[in-house]
Amino acid sequence: MDRRNLLKLAGAAGAMAGTVGVAGSARAADKVTIALIPGLTADGFYVTMHHGAEAAAKALGVDLIYQGGAEWNVALQVPIVDAIIAKKPAAILIAPNDKTQMIQPLKKAFDAGIVVVCVDTFIGTGVFQTGSGDADFPICYVASDNILGGKMAAAALAKAIGEKGKVYVSNTKPNISTTDQREQGFKEGMKAYPNITVLETQFNDDDANKAAAQFQAVFGRTPDLAGVFGANLFSASGAANGAKQAGVAGKVKMAGFDAPESIVGQLKDGTFEMTIAQHPFEIGYFGLVAAYAKATGNPVPTAIGTGFTVMTAKNIDDPNVSKFLYSSK
Amino acid sequence: MTAIAVSPPVTGKSWLVRIAELRAWLFLAFLIVFFEIWVRLGSGAEFIFRPYNLQAIAVFAAVPLILGLGQTFVIISAGIDLSLGFVMGLSSVISAQAANIGAETLGLSLPLAMLFGIFVGAAVTIIPGLVNGWLIAYLKVPPFIGTLGMYGVSRGAAYLFAGGMTVGISNRWFSAIGNDRFYGVPYLVILTAIACLILHYVLSQTRFGQHTYAMGASQAAARRAGIDVKRLTIKIYLLSAIMGGFAGALYTGRFSAGAPQAGEALLLDSIAAVVIGGASLFGGSGTIWGTVAGAFVIAVIQYGLVLVDVEPFWQFIAVGLVIIVSVLVDQAQRRYVGGRTVE
Repeated sequence: MDRRNLLKLAGAAGAMAGTVGVAGSARAADKVTIALIPGLTADGFYVTMHHGAEAAAKALGVDLIYQGGAEWNVALQVPIVDAIIAKKPAAILIAPNDKTQMIQPLKKAFDAGIVVVCVDTFIGTGVFQTGSGDADFPICYVASDNILGGKMAAAALAKAIGEKGKVYVSNTKPNISTTDQREQGFKEGMKAYPNITVLETQFNDDDANKAAAQFQAVFGRTPDLAGVFGANLFSASGAANGAKQAGVAGKVKMAGFDAPESIVGQLKDGTFEMTIAQHPFEIGYFGLVAAYAKATGNPVPTAIGTGFTVMTAKNIDDPNVSKFLYSSK
Repeated sequence: MTAIAVSPPVTGKSWLVRIAELRAWLFLAFLIVFFEIWVRLGSGAEFIFRPYNLQAIAVFAAVPLILGLGQTFVIISAGIDLSLGFVMGLSSVISAQAANIGAETLGLSLPLAMLFGIFVGAAVTIIPGLVNGWLIAYLKVPPFIGTLGMYGVSRGAAYLFAGGMTVGISNRWFSAIGNDRFYGVPYLVILTAIACLILHYVLSQTRFGQHTYAMGASQAAARRAGIDVKRLTIKIYLLSAIMGGFAGALYTGRFSAGAPQAGEALLLDSIAAVVIGGASLFGGSGTIWGTVAGAFVIAVIQYGLVLVDVEPFWQFIAVGLVIIVSVLVDQAQRRYVGGRTVE
């Protein structure tokens, strides 16, 4: 009796699974499927990028898959790429976790006929479709122009410190394309100011406690330190806390990068003089549009640069500025 | 009837044993002299005699040290707590949210909302602490694996509660705990010092502390001597998690925000501090004062190298080398003093 019921149940479940399977494959034939693999999932920047991609997917009638690692780590991202390749989407949008280590894993996707679009970070040089090198197969690179972002930070910070004095870059880990470029852009931008000296960069391993101590040590040897550029949020808030501990909060000017909602209070209380907000929604939106265009046989530009907004205590209440804050949900 | 060797032995220490126990402090003194000379030759300024540097190093060492205090008990008991970094992150996030809810929804005054935040943040860590202890004591999961599992669970929970963001607080009392001073000494440092004193007392003077040593030296012997090893294990991992919770709440105060990844980079520093401080990863030995010295060794190296403007990557190499040298010295010392041999 029991067993018979169980068998019936199993049969029903099997039939159901069958219908679902048929329905699923029918839908897949109609719709283009595109996967978005963020640099890490738990981050407001990528959450907002996902929103942008979702908006474009809805407009174009695309099925969007969103899968990523919990942290910034090649070893976590590679298996996700492999799993996505197995699903055979038309295109993969990815923020690669490393410039060189992600080349071969993504080459596999390309060899399987999947369109690869890099968003936010890139592989190789970030210049694609040149016909040279082993990392030019992605069809398009959609990102903030991080060198430009670094230059904007340099210009804004230079103005805040009266175009003279000593500054340094508080950076996370070396060999991450975006933060490397921000540092590069910042240093290039500062060349326009002969009275500003850029000191040695401090790498903090994404540890705010270490970034704070590094600020105190640098300030300890350079009492005339005028400003710090934090290449990402942890670097900036760590350095800002170092300034607080050293009793020079607000005197040594802090320029941050990125704009989670919590930045508003920190701009208003003077922890940060300014922050450079990227436009991740645009990155997700145009990344998906580029992938869709290529997957449906249309030409695509090899690079799409999205903009920045400089946020300060003065302009943050303006809705045209505050709309670029990264959303958490 | 076998006598249980409860180390450190209370009486009859040879001078060699005493020096060995001071190893981490001697090493710290050597480092300070080394940087004092370097800084004076380089810039003519003072290193350790300058209150600014002293304060910066103490603040730098504070949070990793608090993690290291709980870790000292765990390592003495021949275990390891890898979940600590994200238990700290979980508490950091929860204490920020609880403080916000306390002030906004429950209508508590700011100081009460702060206490509520710290209390809830620390209370939440009881769960991973109990699970760690239960896995290790009752299900016989090796500490390395059990706490690695909880590392993932508490990380996921922390990120879920935070919604993938840092959780900002606007509570000036809470921020004051992490940043203000009492007669020139940061509260952060005062609270850390109090925690050190309490846990030193617990480890060296109480039955719980002595049983921890006994269990680390030989679990079988401890069990034969009538120690409830299972309960003891749970207590030890609970203590470690609660210290992680305390560290997380302090982090939230200091940076005015709860961050899921707050303790990620500090976990290895906490283990390194305990090992440099003379504890053996095989259990049975270690002291709170050793861990204090260990935490300061790491802080002095990292702060000092930036102060004298050494290329950043040397910092990693320096700390790595110090750990290796420390363990080598430990091995050599055991051989000469005739301490317990490692199985």
